[in-house]
Amino acid sequence: MAPRPPPLQPNRDSVTTIAEDGSRNFLRPADVSGPFTFWRRVSALFLIAVYIALPWIPINGAPAVFLDVASRRFHFFGFTLATEDLWFLFFGLTGLGFLLFFVTAVFGRLWCGWACPQTIFLEHVFRRVERLFEGPAAQQKALDRQDWNAEKVLRRGGKHLVFVLIAAVIAHIFLSYFISVDALFAWLGEGPGAHPRAFVFMLVMTVILYFNFSWFREQLCLIICPYGRLQSALIDDDSIIIGYDENRGEPRGKASDPDAGDCVACNRCVEVCPTGIDIRQGLQMECIGCANCIDACDAIMKKLKREPGLIRYDSLQGLAGRKRRILRPRLFLYLFLMLLGAGAMAYSATKIQPVSMTLSRMTGAPFFVDEDTVRNQLQIRLINKRSEPIALDIRAHATEENGIPLETSGYDQTLLLEPLAETRRPFVVRIPREAYAGSFQLTVHAEADDGALDVVRTIDFLGPDPRLLREDWEARQ
Amino acid sequence: MTMNPNQDTPKETSGKTEAGRRRKDSGVVLMDHEYDGIQEFDQRLPNWWLITLYGAIVFAVGYWFFYFQSNVGESDVEKLDRQLAVIQEKNLEATLAMLDNDNLWEMSEDPAMVAAGRETYTAVCVACHGAELEGGVGFNLADAEWVHPQDAIGVYKVIEEGIAGSGMAAWGGVLGPKRVAEVTAYVLSYHEPDAIP
Repeated sequence: MAPRPPPLQPNRDSVTTIAEDGSRNFLRPADVSGPFTFWRRVSALFLIAVYIALPWIPINGAPAVFLDVASRRFHFFGFTLATEDLWFLFFGLTGLGFLLFFVTAVFGRLWCGWACPQTIFLEHVFRRVERLFEGPAAQQKALDRQDWNAEKVLRRGGKHLVFVLIAAVIAHIFLSYFISVDALFAWLGEGPGAHPRAFVFMLVMTVILYFNFSWFREQLCLIICPYGRLQSALIDDDSIIIGYDENRGEPRGKASDPDAGDCVACNRCVEVCPTGIDIRQGLQMECIGCANCIDACDAIMKKLKREPGLIRYDSLQGLAGRKRRILRPRLFLYLFLMLLGAGAMAYSATKIQPVSMTLSRMTGAPFFVDEDTVRNQLQIRLINKRSEPIALDIRAHATEENGIPLETSGYDQTLLLEPLAETRRPFVVRIPREAYAGSFQLTVHAEADDGALDVVRTIDFLGPDPRLLREDWEARQ
Repeated sequence: MTMNPNQDTPKETSGKTEAGRRRKDSGVVLMDHEYDGIQEFDQRLPNWWLITLYGAIVFAVGYWFFYFQSNVGESDVEKLDRQLAVIQEKNLEATLAMLDNDNLWEMSEDPAMVAAGRETYTAVCVACHGAELEGGVGFNLADAEWVHPQDAIGVYKVIEEGIAGSGMAAWGGVLGPKRVAEVTAYVLSYHEPDAIP
């Protein structure tokens, strides 16, 4: 058996999980229980339930969230977006970005500890399974040091087998967001050969998830996640973080020592930390705000009949014993920018039409002059973006109401467009020669027969130089 | 200022190591340069990070060799060209099979062909040639007078290639040979085979 490694002694100069030679120092955080752990588990299970349920809940004939990549339709809670509508998400994402800024400025890394899928699946699913197979942290460490024997193979093998299965389940649920649950089960029945690309996608997802949750773990938060790296720019001295009350805790000493502070140097806060830091060294980039150390420390304080909250949710100002402040200018700025984005998105959402119309000129000459008419041959491309059929009437108007009599053909009858169907047809517009006095704007309306919809496009009606046309006309008189 | 033994204190660095580098109490080596009080740690990157970096370099070399040097890997353009060639070959075959007067007349008597042709006609051709082929902007296609085509193949070719300078566009690229043939069959279904060859 390998020798027992010394207890963790995190410092602020290097990352605990990366050893001096660059190898990984694999953490075995101790179990913790307490109110924060309990509520984190409740919220995690709720969020996992939401993740599983969303593709199952039908709203307006589509799953609540269904990113239908194959037919390029994106369904969000009964609202359907076509690829050509995705521009408006720009405002939504911008607003969401500032919402994250806002939440971070007020609550610090609430997202990381309570809502991030990485934390939720790792802490509440994979580490639970690990605990089941390998026992609490001390036994896990012992198993690490132990030579390979039947017991170690069984415990480790069983754990990894279950890890792979869970990763596969998560990958399948993820896949169902893109192909719907019905298709998922149908494809499962048809076997991998029938849908090799989806199968490979699922396989790659499974491998990535398994690797991430079995080995990579906190490295993602420390080194890859950009949100973690942004923290130093997003929080200030008034943001609520998890911190250690130095004034109360220091100097550390035995519980019986009357001169010592409240910290008894039991090291519990370090043992339970999933990223391997010592919270007593102050705010650090590695802290994901999971509150494990709060529950750990409060349990010790309770035993010692001391006030809880030596480690607590508080701002840097509050921890230093200064006046706490919640309202500050940056909050209003973030809030304003967030509302701006949300407002722009809400406004642009009202501009999204269920029909896309493109008006262009047909190939060939831009205009034709007949015996009696000047003619433009246009092409209209119509896409029904909705899941219901739509009946459209196509009409053309001369924009400036200049009384030019238009004669159109190509859409004489009401056009019935099937769900998600696309059509491309010629639209021929003619005006009498004598009415032509230069190019003018032509407005084409696609109107639903129930009046609920009016998509408008304009194009220039072109013709020859009107003087030539008039000379020709006079010559013929 | 601070009573916390773990917090950084100015006097924490201790002892010189090789070449003027200093090793802090935490075991981390400080490099010997210093700019405006800012110093640099000399720490090793995580091995997994280095593996991904070196792996990416190896991959890039392999990729470069496979796609740009060895002529083994097919670029996207080559793949597209190859697939387009297959489609064009198929289209050509289909066109050649149909470019036969007798064939086209035969199709004009096939109700399924004619029905399919009518569908395309009412979507595309109707704008100029009218719902009953009576003409309008374009020529009347139901009467006995033929302006451009001389035979059934001619009808097909006019639809496929268009008539330059007139309003008749080339529909071959838009519809493809099958639908052009169907429309031809639909137009011919208004005529007797002896009207034109």
